[in-house]
This record gives sequence, structure tokens and C-alpha cells, in this order.
Amino acid sequence: MAESQEPETALNQEFETIDLNINIGPQHPATHGVFRMVLTVDGEVVVDVTPHIGYMHRGAEKLSESLDYRQAIGFQDRTDYLGGFNCELCYVQAVEKLAGLEPPQRAEYIRVILAEFNRITSHFMFLGAFGTDLGVFGTAFTYAFREREYIQDLFEEVSGDRLMYAYFRPGGVAWDVPANFKERVRWLTKQARLGADDMDKLLTDNEIFIVRTRGVGVLSVEDAIDYGVTGPILRATGMDYDLRKQEPYSIYDRFDFDIPVGTNGDSYDRYLVRLEEVRQSLRIIEQAIEQMPDEGPILPERLPRALRPAAGEVYMRCENPRGEYGIYLVSRGGTRPYRLRIRGASFCNLSALRQMTIGHYIADAVTILGSTDIVLCEVDR
Amino acid sequence: MSPEDRRREQDPPIVPPEPGTIADLFAAALPDLAITPNQGALDVILIVGRDDVPRLLEAAKTDPKLAFDFLRNLSGVDYEAEGIDVVYHLHSYTHGHDVTVKARLPVDDLHIKTASALWRGADWHEREARDMFGVIFDGHPNLVPLLLPDDMDDHFPLRKDNPLAPLEEWQGTALGANVSEAGYIPPGSGFEVEKVEATPEAAEATPDAVEATPEAAEVTPEAKE
Repeated sequence: MAESQEPETALNQEFETIDLNINIGPQHPATHGVFRMVLTVDGEVVVDVTPHIGYMHRGAEKLSESLDYRQAIGFQDRTDYLGGFNCELCYVQAVEKLAGLEPPQRAEYIRVILAEFNRITSHFMFLGAFGTDLGVFGTAFTYAFREREYIQDLFEEVSGDRLMYAYFRPGGVAWDVPANFKERVRWLTKQARLGADDMDKLLTDNEIFIVRTRGVGVLSVEDAIDYGVTGPILRATGMDYDLRKQEPYSIYDRFDFDIPVGTNGDSYDRYLVRLEEVRQSLRIIEQAIEQMPDEGPILPERLPRALRPAAGEVYMRCENPRGEYGIYLVSRGGTRPYRLRIRGASFCNLSALRQMTIGHYIADAVTILGSTDIVLCEVDR
Repeated sequence: MSPEDRRREQDPPIVPPEPGTIADLFAAALPDLAITPNQGALDVILIVGRDDVPRLLEAAKTDPKLAFDFLRNLSGVDYEAEGIDVVYHLHSYTHGHDVTVKARLPVDDLHIKTASALWRGADWHEREARDMFGVIFDGHPNLVPLLLPDDMDDHFPLRKDNPLAPLEEWQGTALGANVSEAGYIPPGSGFEVEKVEATPEAAEATPDAVEATPEAAEVTPEAKE
């Protein structure tokens, strides 16, 4: 040992630090469901994230293979339970593509109106829950839920259920809407517009809200595309891509609406994009309710008792509240799907969580997870 | 799956797409590759051999005329003895076109090269396909169970040899003698219910069983002491 070396004391000793693992979930209010993530932290800064999913895996794809085409509709509501009508719309369109069914005009309008309302309720859910994640429990949440309730009442009147609708059918809808449907929808659009303004006033210019979200969880366009991220998260990065515009399905090519895009790709932009999407969905509904025929069939005249779509395959994709929802349906001519693959938007969006979270503080990890707006039932299926 | 359905089941016919689709661009970019183009309900499906998939995917991603920058979906389809299909759904934001790529793996050798080096989004899709079908993606950085428990690496739930017993039973399909009142019992599991035939001996045995009950009641006070 060299003589010049100082004796070891507590002052000049080099302390060894180790990274700490923090487990969040599976039962945790910030995880929006049954989701576990292990944060590896260096002090307060997150250096690694390991998401653990699969707690809600129910085998919806396998179950669908053992039921006939109409029975499998029920599983669609249960994948993304906040956007049930949107999931059903994607599934029934996939079946229609293979079976060669053409839904009547009135049914198309009913479907689009309900799907857009479902997008609004889903985004209100996000707006309320996101406020809660950031510590403003109560105010934003109750306002958002008030708006949701009005729309949920319409869903209940139409389909008989508040979440698990199972109302769409291959070829149309199950039964006709109530007689006062148009008046109810017109009143609801006015009400929802006021509700969106309320949320706008509550959160958009809120200093605390901005400080906690701006610049947090930034995702670049390249990373978003590489990870297969879609929906509001992709649009918040500045990418102008919405399947309703770029690949119009159903009757979306008949409406005039804008695609809101962000600039920074951070949590604040994701919030702004979703808030604006609520208003754009209202624009679609207002146009649809004027164009919708007052009377007419809601199912094709000749509908087989047992659907036997021709052998073939289709990958149907729709713009859900959370992004691209895909149904890969393989038929071999039987009465049941040979293979039904559900591409959940949340599943792909969540795979970019690690990319978004590394380098941020622990408290921001909750913000980032909240801003991705995942539904764990759709992640695990 | 009812026997009637089984008989009707068939693979869809291969319909060559019209000229001018995305299949022509692939043929121009990879002239020496054996590609079978097929017109699906929405997209063009390219059926290729398993060993050609890495080359085709790399060209799809890097060729400026193709530029498929978005992997929409990756999944497996089980065709039992014929093998397992791996299906890629690709989209190009640059050109706005789509394509489906399919390759069949033989049952005894479920290996294919990973696509996670081309699209990071393939990572989780491939882990799920491994969970559900047992497809091994060679070169994947972290091929461990994603949706299934960590120790569940020898059972693949979405394969066709896993029947959905109670549902199939409700729908009146025959699973043979393996269905008892308790539900479906897999053959070879050791829990098979032996069918007892109604013989005179079995009928005589029944009163004994009834007589046994008072004895059992007598035992109870002794046990209390």
C-alpha cells in the first residue's frame, strides 16, 4: 500500500449506490386496472421500467372460436369496455366483409352515432381519470362523470345495457332505436359540448396541470411509428393520421371533420388532442343526425339464420378511442370463426411505455401511464 | 366444432390480384423470390416460404418504394397437422398502402427469424405468439412469457388441440366419453370416470352402503369423548 494514501474515513470514502426496484401494482389506483410495473430507480429518476401484463387474460380470442359469429359479438365489448360500440363496429364490419353483407343506411347512421358517442364517453373517462392521476381528485372526475352519465343513459335506452351493449349485428343493428332518438341525440350533443367546455376551463390553463404534464413522457414520431403506437398518442406527436380520414370505413367519408394533432408528443398534447376529438366527434354526430333517414330497415331483408361467411380472411381496422383496433378474422366456411385475432390499441401503445418513462421522476411515471389511457382488458384480452 | 362444420371446412382459393397492386412492387423489388400473391378481402396477401420471410420483410421496411414503416399486427394461425401460419400485417404511412405477409411453419420445427430488429413493436407481438402458439422467434432479445405465467412454457392455449370443453358441450357437440358431470376430463389425466355397469352385484351393494350410515352416526359420540 502506498504511503501517500490517506487513511479511509467516512468523509473520503466512496459510497456505492445501487438501483432500487419499486413495484407498482397489480392492485394500485394509478395503474387503471390490473397492471404491474417494476420501476428501477436511481434516486428519484427512473432508469428502467418492466411492465408485467396478462393478469386479465381471458382467452377472448380462443373463446370466440368456439361460438358462432353472432355470439362472439359479446366478447368485443369486453376487450375495450370503454369503447364497446367501436370494438363491435370493427368486428361486425369484418364479418360483413367476408359474408358479403351490406347494412342498410339507417343502421349505418345509428352505428356511427353510437360509436362517436362512445368515443366521447371514453375521452371523458380519460379527462376525469387523468386529473385524478395528477392529484386533483374530485373536481375533474365528477364533472367528467356527469357528462358520461347523460350519454350512458342513451346507451341504456338504445341497447339495454350501460357497458356491454352487444347491440350491433353483422348486417346492421339488433333492433330499432327508441322513437325519441333524434331529439335525445340533439340535446346530448349540446350538453356534451358544454361538458367539454367545462373540462377545458378546469384543466387546460391550470398551472399545476401544465407543469405536471408539459414535456413529460415525450414520444417522437419515429419512435411512435416504430412501436406501432396509434390513436391520440400518435397524433400528439404531430402525425396527421386517423383511419376515419385516411382509410374511411362505414360512412365516415360523408362527414366533414378535422383531425387534431399535437406538436410536442408529450402528455399535455395527448390531453389536448383528446379534448379536441370530443368536439370533432360532436361535429360528426350533428351531421349524422341530420342525414339519418327517419324510417327504414335496420337489417338486410334476407339474413341467413346461421352465418357462414365464405372461406377467406380479412384484417379489419377501425379508429377506436385508443387507436387502431384490428380484427384479423379467418374463416374456413364454418359457422364459427376459425381464428379471431384482436389487435388491441392499448397493447401496442403500452409497449412504448418504457421508451416514454425512462429518465423521468417516479411521480411522472404515473402521469405518463395515465396519459397513454390504456384499458387493461384490451391489453390482455 | 360440429362434424358438419368439419366437413364443410376448406381453405380459401388463391385468387391472383389484379395487375397494379402492391404485389407487383414486391415482385420488382425481389425478382428471385418465390411469392404467391393472393387477393384478400381488403389487402393483398403474399404467401412466402419460411426462409424467405427475413429477406422479404427487410425489403418491405427499407425499400423506398415499399417503405412499410408500421407493423400493424403479427399473429399466428394454427392449422393443426399442416403447421402454423405466422401472419404480418404491414402498413406504410409514407405511401398509404397495406400488405399481408404469410408464412407456414411445420409443426416439428416452429422457428422463424424475429422481426423485432425491423419494428420494435414486433417485440410484444412475438412474445404473445410464442405464448399462444409456441412459435420460436430466433434472435428475439427477450422471448419470455408475456401474457402467460412465467413457468407456463410448454402449453400453448390458442392451438386447436385445446378444446373449449364446457362451451362445446353446451352446444351439443360430441367430445366422446370424456365429458362427465364434472365437465371435460382430458384423456390420460388420470381422472377419467369409470363407467359402472348396472349389474345385480352392484344393486346388492347399495343396501350395505345405506346400513353403513347408522354406524357412522354411532361413532360420533365416541369421538366427542
